[in-house]
This record gives sequence, structure tokens and C-alpha cells, in this order.
Amino acid sequence: MIRQKKFLSVIQHLLLIIMCIIAIFPLYWMINSSFKNDSEIFTASFIPLKPTIANYVYAFSSMPIIRMMFNSFSIAILMTALQLITSLLAGYALVRWKFRGRSFIYTVFSLSWLIPFQAIMIPNYVLINKLGLNEQILGVVLPFAVSTFAILSLYQNFKAFPVALVEAARLDGESDFGILLRVILPNIKSTVASLGILLFINGWNEYLWPTLVTRQLQDEPIQIGLKSFVNSDTNMWGSLMAATTISCLPILIIYLVLQKQVVNSFVRFGIK
Amino acid sequence: MGNIIINQIKKSFHLNEVLKGIDVEIPDGSFTILLGPSGCGKSTLLRIISGLEEPTSGKLFINEEDVTFEEPKDRNIAMVFQNYALYPHMTVYKNIEYGLKIKKVPKQEREEIIQNVLKMVELIEHVDKRPAQLSGGQRQRVALARAIVKRPYAFLMDEPLSNLDAKLRNQMRQELIELHQQLETTFLYVTHDQVEAMSMGSHIIIMNQGEVMQQGTPKEIYTNPANLFVAQFIGSPPTNIIEFEDMYLGIRPEDIGIVNTNQIESDVNISGKILTTEQLGGETIYRVKTHIGNLNVRIQSCWDEINEDVDVRFSFDKLMVFNKEGNRVVKNDNMMRIIKKLKNEKELVYS
Repeated sequence: MIRQKKFLSVIQHLLLIIMCIIAIFPLYWMINSSFKNDSEIFTASFIPLKPTIANYVYAFSSMPIIRMMFNSFSIAILMTALQLITSLLAGYALVRWKFRGRSFIYTVFSLSWLIPFQAIMIPNYVLINKLGLNEQILGVVLPFAVSTFAILSLYQNFKAFPVALVEAARLDGESDFGILLRVILPNIKSTVASLGILLFINGWNEYLWPTLVTRQLQDEPIQIGLKSFVNSDTNMWGSLMAATTISCLPILIIYLVLQKQVVNSFVRFGIK
Repeated sequence: MGNIIINQIKKSFHLNEVLKGIDVEIPDGSFTILLGPSGCGKSTLLRIISGLEEPTSGKLFINEEDVTFEEPKDRNIAMVFQNYALYPHMTVYKNIEYGLKIKKVPKQEREEIIQNVLKMVELIEHVDKRPAQLSGGQRQRVALARAIVKRPYAFLMDEPLSNLDAKLRNQMRQELIELHQQLETTFLYVTHDQVEAMSMGSHIIIMNQGEVMQQGTPKEIYTNPANLFVAQFIGSPPTNIIEFEDMYLGIRPEDIGIVNTNQIESDVNISGKILTTEQLGGETIYRVKTHIGNLNVRIQSCWDEINEDVDVRFSFDKLMVFNKEGNRVVKNDNMMRIIKKLKNEKELVYS
């Protein structure tokens, strides 16, 4: 019996180890390759035999990497902030206010989640263009100011929030905004933080829309810059890997520092 | 200080009429109990008074002012919730201070008021704790303190003791009575527990199915129930109801005596057999089978056993008479003649 259990445990761990290797290997290979020189890059060696930082030097010299990372950061932070603000307000109103058409609005929100971004990309582009927000961070961020996913997640949270607390605050003379800010928010801090992490990662990885709106390297987020290493003329694999490693760093740091919270937020909102 | 006048208040949720025209006056400074079984509408009425719910029709006056459509904060009332509703992220002090802060009471004045109230509810050493670190009784006191600092016209309490264990509940009951005497403010207290109602209230309003059944002092309600519902709802065990010749007769278990057979005459003497006994220590509750039905009897402890033959007896003036609709009627001579038939058990068919 015990033997059987032990055997099962070994098998389980083996499987998990294999899965971990599969997950981590590309990351490892990226870092590994970024230190290899041009002649070594296509070899299968697991460590660079002649480690070089030439790829990094080239990447930094050919592209305003710091500037583009800053762009990525601004975009991700702005998106997260806007999405949190709009979803907190919308979620609160949908749960706490009784008004005509409330369930209709909720349904519209839910359904809009099903529309792929590619379908509304062109109208959005035309609109941003007409507003003159092309080539600006605001133009990148504005169409993502509202996240249905965030609204629906917070909607569930507000629903589960004890009504008596809200009513007590109302009797204390608190306004709706005050209730949201000073009664509800402090008690769902960790949920909002988890949601914020998810939204930030989403914002950081945004690719398609920024490609459309921005045209010059110094306006673009880092993710777009990466593709300039690979084109029909040359494939600068080493530099691509170096730049990609740099662009991954912030997310990796977030993962390392907030490991528990990140895992928690994936679990909480049921995403993988 | 303030009285509360409820004028023809109706409330429906969709097609469900929860309050069917409530007309009551809650006297200024009284300790009024809203009593009724769950689902009778008492909590809804309390929420309408607090402003958390709007009535479908009718008017509400607090301190002679029509507040039917006022915001809760403009009514100057305080509410104590069943589960206390303390802000979990704030300390005891912050919880109590919160309402005053919103009212923009200056800091120094706030501190003074809060210190006084903390003394009153004996929470001084707990000011820096969070609600989660407090016991049920302490949380209850914080909830009370939070209400007291607002100096409201009236305190509304929604079953505030129902989450406490029996011993603590008794203690808090005493504390609430003392608090009421100290504050001399109107207390409106919702409960389904008749013991709580009888022991704390100076005034009781009994509700059932969205209607007021009776209101009055505990004594009036106990000695003079207006209808069958009140007669049965107040008292433990409930009043015995005997269906008899087109009317209902009610007799309280504590108004019935038990004698072993062949003892002194009373107005009514009926022989029976003990079905069950409940020894409460000082008192005993019997269920006795008689020809007029099974009767609950509550007497000073005596240690009769199950299946023993006994005589139950009671006097006519303790009998309450209700008509077919269940409303209390005054006993007249004609009824007395009919009731007297009870006395002679041979005229009745043993059931």
C-alpha cells in the first residue's frame, strides 16, 4: 500500500517536473541565446561557449530600448489605472443602484466581451484618427480604458460584499463615492490588487493595437520594437533574444517579487 | 428626543404585499418593541423608518417632521444591525468616529464625545483593536457606541442580540435597559423573541403578516390579548385554545392548577392524565390529556409522573373568550352560561 503511494507520488512529481521544464525551457533558451555570438547561435549548446554581450550592445544601439520600455510601462500603467477606475465605478453602480435598464446594461457588458478586438479595430482606428490621437500614448490607451472582464469580476465581488456595511455607511451619512472609496475598497484591496496585476500584464503584452496607432520607434512599446530585428533582409536572432530578455525583465521581476499575489490573482479570476 | 408616527405605511415587493397599511405611534422616549414571527414585515418597517427602504405609500413622521422621502442621513436616527455591520478595516475608535467625521464635527469635540461613550459602554481598553479581535458582546457594544455618538432622535435595532449566546444575551438585555434609562431616547427594537420583548419593552407592537395585531404595554398585551394570535404568540408555552360552541376559549398554562384527584372545588375541574412533563427546576410544564383537548399546564415544581391521573382546574375569570374570527370579545352572561357547561364534564363528549 505504502509502496504504491510512493510510486504514485514519484510519477506525479516526474510529470510535474517535465511540465515545468517545458514551461521554463523557452525562457532559458532565450536568455542562453542572447549571450551567444552569431556563429554559435544555431548550435544546440546549453550554455554559451563564448559568452558575449555584443547582442545587448547592438540591441541598445540600434533601438531606443529604454524609451520604448518606458512607453510600455506608461501604456500598461495607464491602462490598468483607467480600467480599475472605470470598472470600480461601473461595478458599484450596477450592483448598488437600482435603475431602469440595469440588467440590460449588464447583459450588454457581458456580450461585448464576446466581440473580438479585431472586429472593432478599424472603427476604433478611424475614431482615434479623427480625434487626432494618433502617435500618442493616449491614443493607444483610450480604447482600452474600459475592461469588461474587470467590470464583471468586480461586479461579482461587490455582489458578495455585505450589504449591512454599505447600509451602515449610508446611515452614517456617507456618499456613494465615499462608500466605494472608504468602505468597500479597503476591504477588497487584495482583490483589486490581484485584478490590477492581471490588467498590467495584459497591458504590457498589448501588441496589435499599438502597432496600428504608432509609427515611430520612440512612440512604440518595446514589444513592437522586437520585430524589427527580424525582417525579410536579415534575422538578428541574437539581438532579438537580447532585446526580448530585456523586455521580459519587468514582468519577471513582478513575478518574482509578487509571486504569491500573481498566482493568487490567476486562481481568483480563474485564468491561466 | 423624538416620537415616530407611522401613517398608513404600505410596502410591496413586486406583487408581494409585505406591509398592509401600518398605523402606529411610537411614543417619545419609549423602549418600543416590534415583535412578530419571521416574515411578518417588522424588519421591513424598521428599514422604512431608517430610510434604507422607501414605502410604497403612506407617511412617516419623526419628531413631527415628514421624513417619508428624506435620505437616511437627514433623519437623525441611528441603527444597530443584527450582525453589527462594523467596518472591518477600522479600529474600534475609527468605527465610532466615522459618522461624526462625515458630519464634520471638529476633532476635539469628536474626541470628547467618543471618550464619554467609550466609558459608557466600557470599551476604553479596546479602542485600538479591530472588530475581528473582539468578542460578540464587545462588537455589539461598539455598534451601540457608534449609534450613541450620533445623538439621534431614535435608536433602531434589528435583532441585535440574536447572534449572542444565551448568557451574554441576558447580560446585554440588562445593559440595554440601563442604557435606555441613561439616554432617555426612543428605542425601537425588532425581535421575534417574546421573552426579549416582554422583559425589555415599555411598549410592544405585535405584527403578523404585514399587519399590526396589537400594541400596548407588556402587561396589557399579556393580560388582555386582542386576538387569538397575540394570545398564542405571547407566553410560553402558548395559551391553550379550546374550540367550544362557536367560540374559542383561551386559558394560559400558568393559570391552570393541577391537583391530585378529589381535592378542593374550583370553577372548572376536569380530570385528565399527564402525557409529558418538562422539568424546568423551579417550574414544571405538563401536557395533560383531558376531554376538552390536550392542555399545557405550567406550575410551581411538583414532581408528578407521566400517566398519573390528575385534576386540572382554573377559574372563569382567567378564561379569555374569542369569537369565530379570532377577536377577543367581552364575556357576557349568555357566554358565561355556555362556558359553565365546561364545569360539568358529563355534558361533554370525551374526545
